[in-house]
Amino acid sequence: MDYIYLDHAASSPLRPEVRAAMREVEESTPGNPSSPHRYGREARARLDEARHRVAGVLGADPMSVVFVRGGTESDNLAILGWTRSVRRTGGRPRLLHSAVEHSAVAAAAREVEAEGGRVEIFPVAPDGSARLDDALESLRANATENGSGDVFGGLVSCLWVSHETGLVLPIAEVAHWARERRFQVHVDGVQGVGRLDPVPIVAAVDLFSLSARKLGGPPGMGVLVAGRGVTLHPTLFGGGQENGLRPGTEDVAGAVGTAVALEAAVSQRQAEWSRLGALRDALEARLREGIPDLVIHGSEGRRTPHILNVGIPGVPLDVLPGALDLEGVAVSAGSACRSGATGPSPVLAALYGEAHAVRVAPLRISLGWNTRASEVEEAGSVIIRVVEGVRRAFGGPL
Amino acid sequence: MAANRILVAMSGGVDSSVTAALLAEAGHEVVGVTMKTFCYQDTPAHGRTCCGLDGIMDARRVADALGIPHYVFDVEEEFTRDVIDDFVTEYARGRTPNPCVRCNANTKFGDLLRRGRALGCDGIATGHYVRSFRGDDGRAGLLRGVDRAKDQSYFLWGLPPELLPLLHFPLGSLTKPQVRERARQLELVTAEKPESQEICFVPTGDYRDLLRKRLTPRHPALEPGPIRHVDGQLVGEHSGYAGFTVGQRKGLGGGFSEPHYVIRVEPETRTVVVGPQEALRSSRVLVNDLNWFHGPPQAGEQVRVQLRHRAPDVPARVATVDDSALELTLATPQLAVTPGQSCAVFREDELVGGGRIRTG
Repeated sequence: MDYIYLDHAASSPLRPEVRAAMREVEESTPGNPSSPHRYGREARARLDEARHRVAGVLGADPMSVVFVRGGTESDNLAILGWTRSVRRTGGRPRLLHSAVEHSAVAAAAREVEAEGGRVEIFPVAPDGSARLDDALESLRANATENGSGDVFGGLVSCLWVSHETGLVLPIAEVAHWARERRFQVHVDGVQGVGRLDPVPIVAAVDLFSLSARKLGGPPGMGVLVAGRGVTLHPTLFGGGQENGLRPGTEDVAGAVGTAVALEAAVSQRQAEWSRLGALRDALEARLREGIPDLVIHGSEGRRTPHILNVGIPGVPLDVLPGALDLEGVAVSAGSACRSGATGPSPVLAALYGEAHAVRVAPLRISLGWNTRASEVEEAGSVIIRVVEGVRRAFGGPL
Repeated sequence: MAANRILVAMSGGVDSSVTAALLAEAGHEVVGVTMKTFCYQDTPAHGRTCCGLDGIMDARRVADALGIPHYVFDVEEEFTRDVIDDFVTEYARGRTPNPCVRCNANTKFGDLLRRGRALGCDGIATGHYVRSFRGDDGRAGLLRGVDRAKDQSYFLWGLPPELLPLLHFPLGSLTKPQVRERARQLELVTAEKPESQEICFVPTGDYRDLLRKRLTPRHPALEPGPIRHVDGQLVGEHSGYAGFTVGQRKGLGGGFSEPHYVIRVEPETRTVVVGPQEALRSSRVLVNDLNWFHGPPQAGEQVRVQLRHRAPDVPARVATVDDSALELTLATPQLAVTPGQSCAVFREDELVGGGRIRTG
């Protein structure tokens, strides 16, 4: 059996059409898009075209599409760019974000706090509902600038689809809540794009982040959609590329590859939803049967079909991915520290409590564009067998 | 030897790198593992040294060069419980612990074995300079390494006996220069890496920093107390008995007609007792926390014992032995037999077990 790759939420292999499009650009377009000569003009044209294609898929204004280097950079530019622009005008930025954000948002928020901004984290229930009013309470308790006791103005950052569980968060509700309180909204859409329709989400929010590599696009490419109503202060400084928000010579092939991957992922999303959904359901049923005390994370709410996160009680958090790797199956678990060791997941801790996150070893199995039914079936048998072996190793005496 | 899957504990040093290389060469399926045992910093802003990241990267590069998988396991919780907490408690009791012995007995082999089994491995290897053998009767055991200057059997008396048949120590029959030479031939990135000297979880080199962090504030072990001469006379004050170990000369002040040493530490009264060198000699050793690979030696039996790292083994007679205590009579009185240190017991070159020195 060939090696089975079920870690698309970490990185999805490059789609062949993306590779072909990028190679064509690399071979035909050697120039810098900022140059006035023919090579430069050609590069500029390809970049503009890519920008329009991305905007077209997302239903966004092409002027609002900023090419950046990856999802983390997109989240950072949205959050730090927004809060620093508030500081520039003498204000104290207010940021609310959910308790289940990717570290690209959570760590940027800690930076906002370190820079003197106010940050509140709102809880998310296991069914995905966002309890924004809880965070508002703390803000209200601290707000002195407003006699009515109400708090207006700030940024809400909310994940669209959880990178760990596939849980879908109610962005429309969040956006509605935010509008009523004159908050602007940033959405980390990295795991939602290619699964759900991005157009209404992009239309409803002010800032939207995506990563190309999770879609089978080029690694190190991302997009920030920054609507006309937001003001961002750059986080990097240099030339005026990308509307001054992302200086540095543009990666034209990367931008084209991003556009091609995005078009493919979004146009295939409904068919993929049913195809991967069926695979996910079969795998889930298989694992439940083979591992009776299995916990399904995210099942309390609406989930995207490309991520199945299961919890296995009574085994250490760090051994399952290695044990599965040696048996030819790639999945991920928990959150990796800088050493590469696996620790408890802050996301699962936020959803199910600290004790659960420490006691139950999570496995994130994520499917993608080139996942085949036979692979998912085989992976199910391997996972059941490996879990039995791991439990034997830790169950009895030495 | 049949090709089987063997877990190799890789610290990122030259010894464990060559261990992995030799086993892979011998046709085994080798899985490299680095254990993350502790974090130097509690803050989220990590420094370069956090989690031994340099060591982990070196281990990963060697594994990659050898074409073997490599994983990092987080055993911080177990290591803290079994090794660091014990280290602190022993110093608080006025003893001088051997954390490497605890780590070998628990973390390095016990916790590793479970993880190894979880990975489908049927053997465990480390870069210790010690030989494992399997007798004709099926009995497995450990012999001193052929490089006597590097021999590490002293640190291994605490291994659970059921582990012995699973252990591989390919460096036991090599000398350190040979190991370095192999590493150079294989062009391993760790070939010229210097030896690690410090206790791995005491990055500053001063264990008292760790004690201050982990003991309660104003713990008696870190409070001033009297320095008394063995004859009972008060001769000075010290700044905390945890800073003293038997045989130590430093930090006692001067004013003696001949060199004086720490003879013992009395935690009940926070007293450090000093005296001349002859007061350091003892011929009777009481040992607790015993571990035997194939049952205890007999009372009256002549054995060889090693009482500190790098010290030669010396002849001793087993005076009494039961489940909890071993009493030895040394043929020649030894200097600075230190409570908390290990007593490794040998029959010729074979390590048969040992324990922790209670009194010397």
